[in-house]
Amino acid sequence: MVLNTAIKNIIRILLLVTSFVAQAQEIDLLIKNGHVFDAKNNLDTVLDISIKDGKILEVAPNITLENAKKVVDAAGLYVCPGLIDIHTHVFVGTKANKFADGNNSLSPDDFSFKAGITTVVDAGTSGWRNFPLFKTQVIDQSKTRILAFLNIAASGMTGDSAQQDLSEMDAEKTAEIIQKYADIIVGVKIGHFDGDSWAPFDRALEAGSKTNRPLFVECHLPRYTLKDQLDRMRPGDIITHSFENISERTPVVDKEENVLPYVFEAKEKGILFDVGHGGAGFWFNQAIPAMEQGLWPNSFGTDLHRFSMNAGMKDMLNVMSKYLSMGMPLKDVLLRGSWNPAQAIKREDLGHLSVGAEADIVLLSLKHGKFGFVDARNNRITGDQKLEAELTIRAGKVVWDLNGLSAKTYEKQ
Amino acid sequence: MPDQSGLLPKRFILLLLFLLPLLNLQAQKLDILLKGGHLIDSKNSMDGPMDVGIRDGKIAEVAKNISEKGAEKVINVSGLYVTPGLLDMHVHVFMGNEPGAYIANGTTSVMPDGYTFRAGVTTVVDAGSSGWRNFPLFKEQTIDKAKTRVLALLNIVGTGMRSRFEEQDVSDMNPVMTALSIKKLYPDILVGIKAAHYWGDFTQVDLAVEAGKLAGVPVMVDFGEHDPPNSIEALFMEHLRPGDIFTHTYSHGPTQRETIVDEDGKLKPFILKAQQRGIVFDLGHGGGAFTWRQAVPATQQGFKADVVSTDLHTQSMNAGMKDLSNVLSKFMALGVSLPDAISRATWAPAQVIGRQDLGHLSVGAEADVAVFNLRDGDFGFLDVRRMKIKGKSKLQTELTIRAGKVVWDLNGLAAMDFEK
Repeated sequence: MVLNTAIKNIIRILLLVTSFVAQAQEIDLLIKNGHVFDAKNNLDTVLDISIKDGKILEVAPNITLENAKKVVDAAGLYVCPGLIDIHTHVFVGTKANKFADGNNSLSPDDFSFKAGITTVVDAGTSGWRNFPLFKTQVIDQSKTRILAFLNIAASGMTGDSAQQDLSEMDAEKTAEIIQKYADIIVGVKIGHFDGDSWAPFDRALEAGSKTNRPLFVECHLPRYTLKDQLDRMRPGDIITHSFENISERTPVVDKEENVLPYVFEAKEKGILFDVGHGGAGFWFNQAIPAMEQGLWPNSFGTDLHRFSMNAGMKDMLNVMSKYLSMGMPLKDVLLRGSWNPAQAIKREDLGHLSVGAEADIVLLSLKHGKFGFVDARNNRITGDQKLEAELTIRAGKVVWDLNGLSAKTYEKQ
Repeated sequence: MPDQSGLLPKRFILLLLFLLPLLNLQAQKLDILLKGGHLIDSKNSMDGPMDVGIRDGKIAEVAKNISEKGAEKVINVSGLYVTPGLLDMHVHVFMGNEPGAYIANGTTSVMPDGYTFRAGVTTVVDAGSSGWRNFPLFKEQTIDKAKTRVLALLNIVGTGMRSRFEEQDVSDMNPVMTALSIKKLYPDILVGIKAAHYWGDFTQVDLAVEAGKLAGVPVMVDFGEHDPPNSIEALFMEHLRPGDIFTHTYSHGPTQRETIVDEDGKLKPFILKAQQRGIVFDLGHGGGAFTWRQAVPATQQGFKADVVSTDLHTQSMNAGMKDLSNVLSKFMALGVSLPDAISRATWAPAQVIGRQDLGHLSVGAEADVAVFNLRDGDFGFLDVRRMKIKGKSKLQTELTIRAGKVVWDLNGLAAMDFEK
């Protein structure tokens, strides 16, 4: 009994001391009263989040204001992990009409934070030859976290014959660069190959297997059938432009509006379907029947580039809102905005709000009204909800603040 | 009588010959009809319900109740405001990757098309990112590739804004070469001269004005970095000409640039005199040049910037500035009316840069048009000191048309309904 009481007292004291230490720690930023949605940690309720030194310090109800340098009132807003866009083209440079080092690609910071995105994955704009240039020119200069799929084509998306050059598609060298930049390169990309040979696909798979990373298949592979591609892909590999309906590929929904049986089989096997909206990659006549029949995308890659930014795509929140309007419940939309893509690229350090995680956070408002959403054919559906990024935080710093939530009110002197 | 029966058909044929071209005109369909909107066009004194018809990239008709029958595409814009495409007179879009460069061919500049159309902007004026030495590269790399109409002020420094240090090189401020570039080589693109970021006395401004006289164009001055600051009264009254432009109007950094409102909140008396003299005040928001502590008292004391512009670059794009529609909404939060604000980003800057072909929707003008939704709600607007004021309305760009083509359509106003 006496011992028991003593132990209890010691535990009490220890608890008090720890809570005192936690209290005394100064909070850089405290987000109060928001509806926290964090799929990894099964959180879907009103909670406070504190941030210190760029990391999540605490997620709990009613965190005290006293030790906070700055407080943001997030009442009425959804507080989510920073969004992850796994399909972008951001190897921006001055080469006219090129993706690799060219002006078809875009500067990531111009588009990310205002759409609640804190991490983008470049979809193979560079290959093993020019990844180092991409890194110094863009990745190292950006505030957005930039990860990348490395193209099996040596110089990435050059848009010319180099993209078709088999002799340059080297699984060894690709794997070597991936290992050298292991914290940035998350997978291997195959796309835009016009030949019959399966060598590029097989070499991309080989580089992926060597480095334990997924393959990102971007279609535009006119001589490969969709079935052959899906058959060769491994569980965890990603296919993008899932709902594209153009002549150079087999659409996932057939003329009778049924999802092809082997597409469902591929999904069963563990193939991940990314939206990859782009300028031409998203058609309601594919995406709507697919959703009705249970083929939901795993992630909302935007395929951001010069030709999608001002078209039906616009930004990732617009693509997510489009899916809300197609009937996907909000929590399923938010899951696909951060935790799903983090898992798909095997970066489970991202896409959630666990204590200790880097504080990449977005505060979203769900606007109500009459909204329209268009696809690649300029067809429109309407909806009554749309997501808007109020505040974006990257590594604990406010990088977007639409309405001055984190600002002081101006008082006249 | 008999000879009359012979004449009638002749007359009839003649009449037909006269009427045919007219009929032809009638039969020529409009490409786009913007139906049911509220038109704001200050050049043409328009502020009310009016339809706008577009054909072959030009404004074909502005009238009430234009028939839908004569249009290929009818876009219902009821409840929305139709304005001339906005003209952003102060941006930095000479984006590039040159090592060591910051605004000229550097990463502090942005690519225009990602920022313009979604904010209703169809024309931007690059404010001196390039000088006569690197303008050809800017033109080839950016201007010729952009869908946005990109005009430019040529920096008085030959290498433009390559680095803050290079901008101090008086030996590379050549009025003759600057004026020749404007007059002889690129008169359709170069609309003025920029003097900026100079640490010394009035030398740079005077050289820019000399170039301005030679080329017959205005000079824009960013008078930001003198320590101690030079007198802006002397700048307005002695050094600049009527029609020259003072940017970063509401900046507050009194140790480097004299302010327009003093530390007691009083608008300095010579400011209104300078405006009367014809000095043009440009807002030029940027990352560091718009403060409520200057803008609020100045507005209350009867002064407004003549032109509302963004100073778009990577340090302003995600901060208080955001885009021109946000800056206009912010200007409205100061108590300025919508038509007044729109005028300061359309017809006013078009006149300042001597491009009277822009900034209005007269019949025959290139069809650069913006359609805005004036959202109601609780909005906050940030200045560069992270201070906010609240506003009840905010402009949102629904549709942007550049030379008759839809280049931004937020909610699919111009799209077809999807049918399964």
